[in-house]
Amino acid sequence: MAMIIILFMPIITATVCYLLKNHRLVGYANLAGASALAVFAIPTILSFVSNPGTALNGMLYMDALSVYIMVLVILLGLASSAYSIGYLEHEFDMKLMDVKGIRRYYLLLHIFIFTMLLVTVANNLALMWIAIEATTIVSAILIGLGFTKRQLAIEAAWKYIMLCTVGITFALLGIFIIYYASTAVNGTKGELNWTALKEIAGRLNPATMKLAFIFVLVGYGTKAGLAPMHNWLPDAHSQAPSPISALLSGILLNTAFYGIIRVIAIVEPSTGAIFTGNLLIIFGLISIGISAVFILVQENYKRLLAYSSIEHMGIVSLGVGIGGVLGFYGALLHILNHAISKPLMFFASGRIQACYGSTKIENVNGVLSSKPLLGMLTFAGVLSLAGSPPLNIFISEFTILKAGVDKGLWAAVGLFLFFAVIVFYGMMSGFGKILFKGKNNIPPKEEGCEHRKFPMSWLNNGVMIVMALLILMLGVSIPEFLDKTIRACISVIGVR
Amino acid sequence: MRNWIQTFSIIDFISVGILLTAISMNAIRRLESCVKAYMLNSWLLSLLIAIIAFMINETHLYVAAVTTFLSKGMLIPLFMKRIVRQIKITHDVDPYISNSLSLVISGILVAVVYASLREGVFVTGVSKNALQISVAVILIGLLIMITRRKAITQIIGLLFMENGLFLAGFSMTFGMPTIIELGVLFDLLMGVIILGFFAVQIRKAFMSSDLDKLTVLKG
Repeated sequence: MAMIIILFMPIITATVCYLLKNHRLVGYANLAGASALAVFAIPTILSFVSNPGTALNGMLYMDALSVYIMVLVILLGLASSAYSIGYLEHEFDMKLMDVKGIRRYYLLLHIFIFTMLLVTVANNLALMWIAIEATTIVSAILIGLGFTKRQLAIEAAWKYIMLCTVGITFALLGIFIIYYASTAVNGTKGELNWTALKEIAGRLNPATMKLAFIFVLVGYGTKAGLAPMHNWLPDAHSQAPSPISALLSGILLNTAFYGIIRVIAIVEPSTGAIFTGNLLIIFGLISIGISAVFILVQENYKRLLAYSSIEHMGIVSLGVGIGGVLGFYGALLHILNHAISKPLMFFASGRIQACYGSTKIENVNGVLSSKPLLGMLTFAGVLSLAGSPPLNIFISEFTILKAGVDKGLWAAVGLFLFFAVIVFYGMMSGFGKILFKGKNNIPPKEEGCEHRKFPMSWLNNGVMIVMALLILMLGVSIPEFLDKTIRACISVIGVR
Repeated sequence: MRNWIQTFSIIDFISVGILLTAISMNAIRRLESCVKAYMLNSWLLSLLIAIIAFMINETHLYVAAVTTFLSKGMLIPLFMKRIVRQIKITHDVDPYISNSLSLVISGILVAVVYASLREGVFVTGVSKNALQISVAVILIGLLIMITRRKAITQIIGLLFMENGLFLAGFSMTFGMPTIIELGVLFDLLMGVIILGFFAVQIRKAFMSSDLDKLTVLKG
């Protein structure tokens, strides 16, 4: 019952936001809805960590892994809703958006959150597919339509929906094949429910499951931004409004990867961990390598952040591929860490873009001296994303490295370290120019950009400061409840 | 009736019809004819589902046949026709490769699919050919998508891919539970509507529906 209420709450918020006519009121309604969801949902779902539950005749299911991703969706949805208020006020002041656009934006934002929540609780693999495809459709409209005055956003949205739909079509074929494999085991009746498939996983035909896994990996991998199917990602993430970029990067990629993890859990018992592991390691290393090159030569800081997302999804894939308790631990921790650091950076870059009116690195400099608070927050985010100690991402990357070394995968570890160094240099040099170069030069004002004040900045700053503190805290120590939850997730997947 | 269907291998006939309508896309230039080819393809698909339903006596497959017919056979083609009229472009001139070359490539694709899936993990109850044909249709849809310039033809390529996928689904498993089928169809419908909307936006914003113009974002 609790699950269904949680699923309905964003829908109600979306409807309320669409019905309100005053653009300020809409913003507050959206924040109220998102906070209510967080306040109601988080204490309720934490009980599912230790004892999983189902709903709707087994269509919905929750265990530790669902809870883990769901809490991330809810919290990032809250952060993004809070940040959106100021961001949209700014767009409204700049006449880039009208009241109708704002209402539509909030409507879609909360439907987007709903679809992501549905991914996390879907037990039926096909239902999960439907939800993942729905996230594509909703977020494509968020990227492309709210901002009709920007041609590039249309281009980005077109590429995004086209590539992801083609990719995800293959994932559905993979799910059909899994269904087929289960008919062979069960006799006449096929199974699509993850829980039921998990029970018969050992008896599924290995050859069939291998084929299925390849299709699912390519399909959901496209959505998760794994190279070489990543081409849509830099466009979509750099052209979307900043709060949406934060959601796309911070959590949407993870929900797609969550789909892959669920499928791994039912594929591995029949095919063995080597097969799935090697595929994931290869895709992971290609992603890290390609993104490292593009990070090095990037001239646009939002695109740089998008490529960094590809890199981090590659690292998650590498961690899952290396496998074992330590590998999964590192990967899951990395999902969390990336989901904090990347949205922080997108929020900060949205502010920088609002101040300087450009996303080119060369046009923006001296942020640290002209806007100390924003500069500090950006600096913390960059250090974290580049993987420098003592911040959070260092810990998870180190865990994955340790897992690789334990398994003796020296080639993978070596390549990962090599690319990590390139990424470190690329991130620091790109954002170093933005932060440190020059002094106090807010650029020559373009027409129509007279006031560079960002409305509601206390709320935005508050959100970003909390995230920066979390980055530091998770870098110093991992709290006990988090450790317990991640271990519960690992036992759910069935890794020993 | 059942014997009659089996002796004349009606199911294979219809599957081949689905394959042929997909291959005909290689030669068609007029956008409205492309939409018609897709419509015919969907009608054959729903007919096939209905016949399978009759053969194995499954009620929920009849439902699937009707919903497929209504959504893929009626709604989407009507919508696509409206988009074609709105965009005011009738032909897809000079695609990236010539007609004859793309026909040859489709032929090779079909041959490759038959060679690689000749014996394998799949034993299907209804027909020996349905799975091969469905994978071939998926690949031909993909070929159409990557060799055409217009936004509309790309959408139609995607639609052919999805039809191939449905054929695979039905030939392998006798269909998913009804609720899931409805969900998948709904997603597909929404996706096509959004894509059509974007196609119109591209036409307005770039004064062309050639996707060559969409090359600003790179690197």
